[in-house]
Amino acid sequence: MQHSDKPDLDETLNVTSSHERMLRDAAAVAREKHVNEGGSEPMSLWIFAACAVILLAGGLALGNAGSFFNYNQTVKPDYVRILKDAEGGGPPPVTALKAYMAQGSKIYGKCIGCHAPDGKGGGAYPALAGSDWVLGDDTERFAMVILNGLSGPTSTGKDFGVMPAQGIGMGPRDLAAVMTYVRNSFGNSTGDVITEEMAAEAIKISEARANPGTPVTAGELDAEHAKPLPGEPLDPATMLNPVTLEPAEE
Amino acid sequence: MSTPDKSLEQDAVLRASIDRSLRHPVMFFFTSGAAWLAVAILLGIISSAKVHSPEFLADCPWLTYGRVFPAHQTALVYGWGCQAAFGMIIWLMARLSRQECRAAGTVLVAGHVWNAAVTLGVIGILGGAGTGVPWMEMPAFAWVPMFLAYVGIAIWSMVQFKVRPEGHTYVSQWYLMAAVIWFPWVFVSSHLLVHGFGGSPLGAANVSAWYHSALLLLFFVPVGTGLAYYLVPKVSGRPVYNYSLSMIGFWALAIVGPWAGAQRLTGAPLPNFLPYLGAFAAILFAIPAAIAGINLLKTAATAGPTVVESPTLRFTVAGLVGLLVLGAASVFLNSPDLPLFGNVLAMTQFTMSGYGYDLLALYFFFSFLAFGTIYFVVPRITRREWLSRRLISMHFMFSVYGVGGLVVIALFGGLMQGIGQEDFAQPWQDAARRADPYAVFTTIAWCFLLVSNVFFFLHLALMWLRLGRRSSHPTLLVKSHHGSPHGPEGDIDNAGPAAAH
Amino acid sequence: MSFRTFAIGLTASFAVAWLAVVILPFFKLQNPAPVSFVEGIDEQSGIYHPKRSGRVVNGYEVYAANGCYQCHTQVARPTYAGNDLNRPDLAGIKGDFERGDTRRESNVFDYIGLDFAPIGVTRLGPDLVNLGRRLPHEVLKAARDQGDDTLTPQQAEAIAERRLFLHLYNPRLDPAVAEWSACPPHRFLFEEQEIQGQRSGDALEIETGEGMEIVPKPQARALVSYLMSLKHDDPVPASMNYAPADAGGDDKEG
Repeated sequence: MQHSDKPDLDETLNVTSSHERMLRDAAAVAREKHVNEGGSEPMSLWIFAACAVILLAGGLALGNAGSFFNYNQTVKPDYVRILKDAEGGGPPPVTALKAYMAQGSKIYGKCIGCHAPDGKGGGAYPALAGSDWVLGDDTERFAMVILNGLSGPTSTGKDFGVMPAQGIGMGPRDLAAVMTYVRNSFGNSTGDVITEEMAAEAIKISEARANPGTPVTAGELDAEHAKPLPGEPLDPATMLNPVTLEPAEE
Repeated sequence: MSTPDKSLEQDAVLRASIDRSLRHPVMFFFTSGAAWLAVAILLGIISSAKVHSPEFLADCPWLTYGRVFPAHQTALVYGWGCQAAFGMIIWLMARLSRQECRAAGTVLVAGHVWNAAVTLGVIGILGGAGTGVPWMEMPAFAWVPMFLAYVGIAIWSMVQFKVRPEGHTYVSQWYLMAAVIWFPWVFVSSHLLVHGFGGSPLGAANVSAWYHSALLLLFFVPVGTGLAYYLVPKVSGRPVYNYSLSMIGFWALAIVGPWAGAQRLTGAPLPNFLPYLGAFAAILFAIPAAIAGINLLKTAATAGPTVVESPTLRFTVAGLVGLLVLGAASVFLNSPDLPLFGNVLAMTQFTMSGYGYDLLALYFFFSFLAFGTIYFVVPRITRREWLSRRLISMHFMFSVYGVGGLVVIALFGGLMQGIGQEDFAQPWQDAARRADPYAVFTTIAWCFLLVSNVFFFLHLALMWLRLGRRSSHPTLLVKSHHGSPHGPEGDIDNAGPAAAH
Repeated sequence: MSFRTFAIGLTASFAVAWLAVVILPFFKLQNPAPVSFVEGIDEQSGIYHPKRSGRVVNGYEVYAANGCYQCHTQVARPTYAGNDLNRPDLAGIKGDFERGDTRRESNVFDYIGLDFAPIGVTRLGPDLVNLGRRLPHEVLKAARDQGDDTLTPQQAEAIAERRLFLHLYNPRLDPAVAEWSACPPHRFLFEEQEIQGQRSGDALEIETGEGMEIVPKPQARALVSYLMSLKHDDPVPASMNYAPADAGGDDKEG
């Protein structure tokens, strides 16, 4: 049988069988159905309900975004850190003596240059270890020397020249801490605490001197400042917050 | 023969010639992809085992968890996922544009370049040259050859689209075209910003999170959905349930998809709106997922017996169910404010739920669609039918149980981990120990998937070697009943004009 | 729909998002503007400029190549995004012996010095953003619980570093985490060498062959140096400080 649209083929070629072979090879393709795009069934209302729920959930997420396209705002606007753990944060309480000494040891770094790490001074500088003005109950003397510096002989009678004032920018906490530290280190052990309150008084007294800003002398110390600093004494075993030096709440 | 029959025959012959022109590149992508899937599954078993047994294979530095897990993800995404996608894209675009592939050689060479780059990249990761950027761990040398290979593969499909016949363009082509345009844009900009520029550590982290999401939502999802829109009506013969809705679904994906990703970094010092905008977009992804899934499942529902019989439809329908679950998981995992559950986003952010979500998208949805495509396309391009319906059945059963279990375990396990992590009153070891039982089950699930892949790869390799059945009768999953339109089963060279319909 | 409509629609929908959430944030977050402390409100003055010590870049390369970011995160999320700040030692130290409660959220300056912020993927292991504080604090706390008050922070840090080397070698030998850690052993970052006269200062306390000791390789040293540099609980300027105003004088962090 000849194909009417292939007239130039030789009669002897069996076009049917070659055509069938081509179709057989394409059998898988030939049996394919055609894609029917014509469907237009209505979508059930449940789909729309589901989309509404999805949009709602999305909206809840978006609500956390704060101000949109504000590239400088890295936290939610008006964010305040409210912690959930029961006790507020804070270091474990320590005894008042330890707390003041811990802070005082850091302040003492300024004094090491002259008075040496072991408080013995040495050569050109007086020793703080065992010094009368450091120890004893007349704490106002010690405070005046720290705040204003000293000119002339020390408690031992030896003259070391002029000690520069250390009181500029020194707050009551720093003063109380360094005094407590020196009075309980290098072999000294008064066992008591100079409180912030006492140090604040000392600063007031120092400002009310006759010549504020000038170094004190041994004479001035003996005449006017040979007394304890005013203020409530603090039991050195009281438990304090080592950072704020406030009494620790239990 | 009457004229309508002749035009149908001519159409069939055209389609067959298109298939033949694509045989080498498509078979290469599918077969090497399946081999990479096997590698990925093996690496997945090893990494999963190390979560609950850290001393397992601990003497080999190449198999440290921190190297083998990124290698597993890389093999799964770039070795299997991308190559399967390439095969799917070039075949369907050629068919729907009615154009033979005239550059099959170029595509094949490009495919080999892609494979070589991924191989070297995975070896680089295992050898300790990983970059530390999630999903971009391959050493910097690998990315440029991959991009060039991609251009060599995809450009022909774009050309075919351009010269397609006049008339209506089917929705699948829009999905594929979009994926083909999105992928290079996402790929190049992300890699340039993260590996090329510097000085913006948080910006780079944001880019990598966006890249991770964009690869899933703007490449794997549209490719899979495009194939599904073709396979379901094609094999079932039923009309697409509501065709106009399909384009709405496409544009919903196009509008929502590019914004998602930053929600993985919620709480980091990024501009605050970014992660929540990302969460919003990720939640809204459920809408196009639902539209496509329900549209096609309703189409397939009217052809129940065909779904049971046809390997293609079984896998495709299972994949579409996976798409719906993916949409639901998107809503659940990215919500910072769910009733009853609370801040699920914060809870699951740093847990194995993210891994479960990735596998849901990559395996339960995309891979199942890839399997459905492979079972449809390979007989057409090799002109042989699948050898054994039992091998296909085993593949299906083990896959469904394996990946279903894997996804459920990972998502739920992540939630449990997250509850432990957020319970600040307990010491950390409480949260750390919670992962163990789920890791054990994950390892078992990966073993199921390994078995499924063995059946699949074997079967595919035999087809690649042209050892399939010569028959015009398709391999269906049930014994053919009396009066099958394809004629008695088992006939070799079953020919004749009657068989051509 | 024509291809032209499609192309315009696709480009518009993608480009707007891409510019807004990828490009702009990347360049805006590059070189963030410095923030100053405020006199009178903050305890310090000057520009907030966290110092990084240690071999950050080299150590980070080892961190990244060995996938530490897969199981460890480095971020302290604000309270609306997670409970990180409520933990006693994640975002800072709740009861630091010298500085009190130092916990704070992560800020943009915490990640400067690297090209990629290792925020992390999962929390199979604990968060590391303040590892350089948490480990010495644990050592100090253990010493004080046993009554030893003389251990200095520097000594605690040295002990913590040795423990970190041991943890890297095999977490099951680190007594703090041996029972529950799933961290892989990184024995390949160490090498066995002959004891030359005396044991090396940084040899691990592990029994090994006759006359042999285990010492860290340069990679391990870089990694530990990086990890110990992770200290992000310093006081921040008032504009970045989200502590409640009525901190009750209890918390003097700036």
